[in-house]
Amino acid sequence: MVSRLVGKVPGNVKRSMLLMAALLAVGLTGCATKKSSSTEPVFFPPAPNPPRVQYLKGVNGSKDVVKEKASFSVFSFGQVEEEAVKFISKPYGISTEKGKIYVVDSIANDVLIMDLAQQAFQSLPGNKGLGKMRKPINLAVSKDGNLFVADTFRKEILMYDPSGAYLKAYGKDMNMKPVDVAVDDVNLYALDYANNEIKVIDRSSGELLRSIGKSTETVQGLSMPTNMTIDSAGYLYVTNVGSGKIIKLDRDGHIVFSFGKMGDAFSEFGRPRGIAVDKEGRIYVVDASHQNVQIFNDKGRLLMFFGDPGFVEGSLNLPAGVTISTDNLEYFQKFADKDFILEQIIVVTNQFGPVKVAFYGLGHLKGTVPPSNYEEPKAEPKPKAGEGKGGAAQAAPAPAK
Amino acid sequence: MNIRALVPIALLALALFPFGSARGENCVTATCHPDIAKFKQMHAPVKDGDCASCHVQRAKEHPVKGGKSFELVAKGAELCKSCHDGIGKKKVVHAPVQEGACLDCHKPHGASGRFLLDAGDDLMPLCKGCHDSKSLNAKYMHGPAAVGSCTECHDPHDSANKSLLKAPIRDLCLKCHADFAELLKTAAVVHPPVKNDACTACHNAHGSSVVMFLNDKMPDLCVGCHKGVGKKVALKVPHKPLVEAAGCSSCHSSHFSKAKGLLALDEQNTCLSCHGTDTLGKPPLHNIKKELEGKKYLHGPIQKGQCKACHDPHGSDHFRLLAGAYPEAVYAPYKPDSYQVCLKCHEKHLLTFPDTTIYTKFRNGNRNLHYLHVSNLRKGRTCRVCHAPHASNGPKLINVEGASFGDWKIPINFKITSTGGSCAPGCHRAFAYDRDKPQVYTK
Repeated sequence: MVSRLVGKVPGNVKRSMLLMAALLAVGLTGCATKKSSSTEPVFFPPAPNPPRVQYLKGVNGSKDVVKEKASFSVFSFGQVEEEAVKFISKPYGISTEKGKIYVVDSIANDVLIMDLAQQAFQSLPGNKGLGKMRKPINLAVSKDGNLFVADTFRKEILMYDPSGAYLKAYGKDMNMKPVDVAVDDVNLYALDYANNEIKVIDRSSGELLRSIGKSTETVQGLSMPTNMTIDSAGYLYVTNVGSGKIIKLDRDGHIVFSFGKMGDAFSEFGRPRGIAVDKEGRIYVVDASHQNVQIFNDKGRLLMFFGDPGFVEGSLNLPAGVTISTDNLEYFQKFADKDFILEQIIVVTNQFGPVKVAFYGLGHLKGTVPPSNYEEPKAEPKPKAGEGKGGAAQAAPAPAK
Repeated sequence: MNIRALVPIALLALALFPFGSARGENCVTATCHPDIAKFKQMHAPVKDGDCASCHVQRAKEHPVKGGKSFELVAKGAELCKSCHDGIGKKKVVHAPVQEGACLDCHKPHGASGRFLLDAGDDLMPLCKGCHDSKSLNAKYMHGPAAVGSCTECHDPHDSANKSLLKAPIRDLCLKCHADFAELLKTAAVVHPPVKNDACTACHNAHGSSVVMFLNDKMPDLCVGCHKGVGKKVALKVPHKPLVEAAGCSSCHSSHFSKAKGLLALDEQNTCLSCHGTDTLGKPPLHNIKKELEGKKYLHGPIQKGQCKACHDPHGSDHFRLLAGAYPEAVYAPYKPDSYQVCLKCHEKHLLTFPDTTIYTKFRNGNRNLHYLHVSNLRKGRTCRVCHAPHASNGPKLINVEGASFGDWKIPINFKITSTGGSCAPGCHRAFAYDRDKPQVYTK
């Protein structure tokens, strides 16, 4: 229809229309350029609140990490060999250990391992033969550097050693659909979406020790659980799409705490996904529906949220996984505003959009004291770090996620 | 001798022995103005008979009945200033000086005391003529105020400091309290007001109804700033010394100290200075010093010299000034927050679940034996039945000597193994427990 109209107009008018179109195009391009080249730092929460989170950087593939066309072996970086540029297609799960960031690509059926400070980017070498992944979703890295991947098609947890070589698979005969995994020194914790429970598996024998997290007569257990993490004290945290609840369990399966419900208000969840807990006990929950990350204190009180749609840079796009790191802060500080002091890095995966792995920094303005996690007014004073004592309790095996 | 050389000598002689002196002798006689020369301390011109330096004759006739033939050379302070210049020029001026009312305090011809004041060394009667404040008549008086040495601190005419003080308050106080000033220099911990503020922040420089002429009685004076302590003192169980006469200074040194928190000694020894005797209180307080002495195992905070990890030294809502809930009776129906004071440090889920592999080693298989003993809704055993809160010769602070149960000390006979242990207590028959190979008790 447009071409028909254009065909009817006289030549001079046509020329002027073309000119106008060209000008319009230039104008639009100008606007777009202005937006995308914005150098203003993106802070959350927005002003006038004091900033706590800054968007730092996005990574879509090896070119955003590795400067020169060089590749590195997965775990001992340094070997230089020619290799094609790698892209991240559709990331979901993410985990970090000792500066390395592990991302599951659920389309490429691969795990990508990057270390930004070391300019290293590599896919998992053990992803072949018996170790070939079919539909990896989430993963965990243990303190000793072993990698555990939840594969929903193979219905197994695949284990790779610190060099990236495939070692073994857990849970073949356990009739589960593992969507996430957590690990400590002794056990594996496989989040079984099919049975609404966590399967506790002995790491050395591969035997199923117990299943935990089921609802009881008095307590609502897991309901369509999708993501899980383990904190430094060994507590497991699970996001549940079925109930909109975040459930905290101990390794025996006692539900010690739960919060949240379905909804679109602050601190409610639409589609809760990835979850992470930092050293201060703050709980980070990704929501694919709200397209943000909500941060809660250890009592489940909402502290803030970030990554909501509407920003040129720094908005999330169908986010999935989240992980927290305090490694290489010096490297990431370069991307932060000069007055913004980083305390830790929050890394979030986006299933769509121009940025697939988004790096945010949690920090505070120079010269200010970082605010403490909100405590209920009448709460008993907590013992200072190091003063607390486990009493007769056993020390928790070092967990990792 | 050249007569001209005598002229300066003659002029000097005139200056030293003016005509007035001859007139003065005429003014003060047995019949005229006899009282003028009777003062103990005389104004210098009076003493010298120089009446004319202040009085001038305006009428020829003198004396005139019902009239005056003499006038003052100048009026009010102007007269005094002609000799006593430079008074009343500083920032703060005494009101009578400002008003030129020199005679409010001074007598013009002579007085019984120095400075033409009708006062002895004790200036208080004179000053109180105007300044009759409560603090000048208090039960406890500052030395200089007590003896009326007002001018030790105040300048009666003018001063650069408020309240006509001769120097800024701290300097003024430390001028006399020099020994205090010396100690202050080397003190490890100094009360901030002592370092930065005027001494009058706490003391009344004249006097007050409180010993050491404090502005208020303790603890009210202290809680004026230490509001948190004020709230604690108002709780159900205040620490007794705080509400007694010595108040805060029972434990704290109010100016400076060698120890943290301005305590007289380090924390534990401050507490033990009272809680280490057999005689204090009726019935006497537990002698904690004896409880700790020679013991193999001490409770963690006590190892660090802390008492306040469990006890609040100011006041608490819980018995024995405990810093959180803990049942008063030996047996107590279990409630989730019954053991706040213990679970503040110890595993908070210790008593939550009947079975666990995480929160305690005191279990038979996965059966939580802490839960079994304590989390009983009807008759829970409190921690003290098995554990000594301060010190013990047994591991895990188990009461080796037995827990007090009325007159009886219940023996525990606790033994520990690598995977469990056993008890043969005065409570039930001997039982063993094992985490790896659970014991069967029904046999």
